Amino acid sequence: MPADHDKGAYPEPPRQTPAVDKQTALPNPALILSKLFYYSVDLPVTTFRDAVDSFRANNKSVYYHQKFRRVPDLIDCQEGDYICYYEAEMQWRRDYKVDQEIVKVIQERMRACHQREGASYHQNCGKEIQQFNEVTKNFQSRYGDLGAYASGRKCLMKQKERMMAAAQAQSA
Amino acid sequence: MVGMSVLRSAAAFAARLSPLKSGNNAANLLSRTIPRTDKVAVRWGHGKKLFVIKPSDYYDRRFLHLLQYYVLLTGVPVAVFVTCVNVFVGEAELVETPEDYEPEHWEYYKHPITRWIARNVYDSPVKDYEKMMAAIQIEKEKADTRLTQLEVRRHMRQKGDGPWFQRPTLDKGLIDYSPKSTPDN
Repeated sequence: MPADHDKGAYPEPPRQTPAVDKQTALPNPALILSKLFYYSVDLPVTTFRDAVDSFRANNKSVYYHQKFRRVPDLIDCQEGDYICYYEAEMQWRRDYKVDQEIVKVIQERMRACHQREGASYHQNCGKEIQQFNEVTKNFQSRYGDLGAYASGRKCLMKQKERMMAAAQAQSA
Repeated sequence: MVGMSVLRSAAAFAARLSPLKSGNNAANLLSRTIPRTDKVAVRWGHGKKLFVIKPSDYYDRRFLHLLQYYVLLTGVPVAVFVTCVNVFVGEAELVETPEDYEPEHWEYYKHPITRWIARNVYDSPVKDYEKMMAAIQIEKEKADTRLTQLEVRRHMRQKGDGPWFQRPTLDKGLIDYSPKSTPDN
């Protein structure tokens, strides 16, 4: 289960619910329903989770995030140095995956904002929408139509075309 | 006399009944009860038993039964094993890499079965990378050797003096210079 946020860093404000001032002898249906939910759903699920955690307690393991060293790009390789080409290609593929994940994160943020705001998301989610549009436009311009056999060389050629088009547009 | 008429009327009544109908044999002609239509219990429990004629589904059912058997034969142990692994061993947690510690290559995966496969079955990604680069290096050297070979062959063919393009000729020492050895011949 995902851990809760740090209560020391983000303290919750003091509760402002008024003290219970019952003026009737009838039972409170909200209380009854909450107790029902607690005993029928919350308690069994929590005990099951605690049991499973006690089984797993002595087999805990951890995993790390792998960081790769930067190697020279395709531009910095000598011609005919196929080893350098290979390393640059692998680095480009890792960067491609990272960029795909970045786009997914930005998209997730925009969808979360949309879900939160409901019908008024056009007005309130401006920042997320603008960020998403910018990120997807950049991704499209860099990796856009490379296809399934995309490679670092094809991406480089696409960049060259982009730069040529920009230079032509500027001089024209 | 009255009994005779009753018997005669009964015989006439029995003669009128069709002998082919199944309820009309002599055993229950006189002792059967008259069906009371107003007190019949209306239940659709049995209905009339029908003999439905349809093509045989024996082979289809046998196939499905065998399919289910063979799929579950290994499917159930695998499912039980994976459930036990998930309950008793559990997935790893993501932590920051501590300073001056180089994790093993299987410590980059989350699920315990993936970690086991990465540790015992697969080579480490570093080794795969190096194997690929070694293959590329060998191929590069082969290509370079072929290019230099073509270059050398071109040179030798042109100049005609290399070891590859020699034509075997007779020994120079066997040439008889005697016809032209003196100016008076």
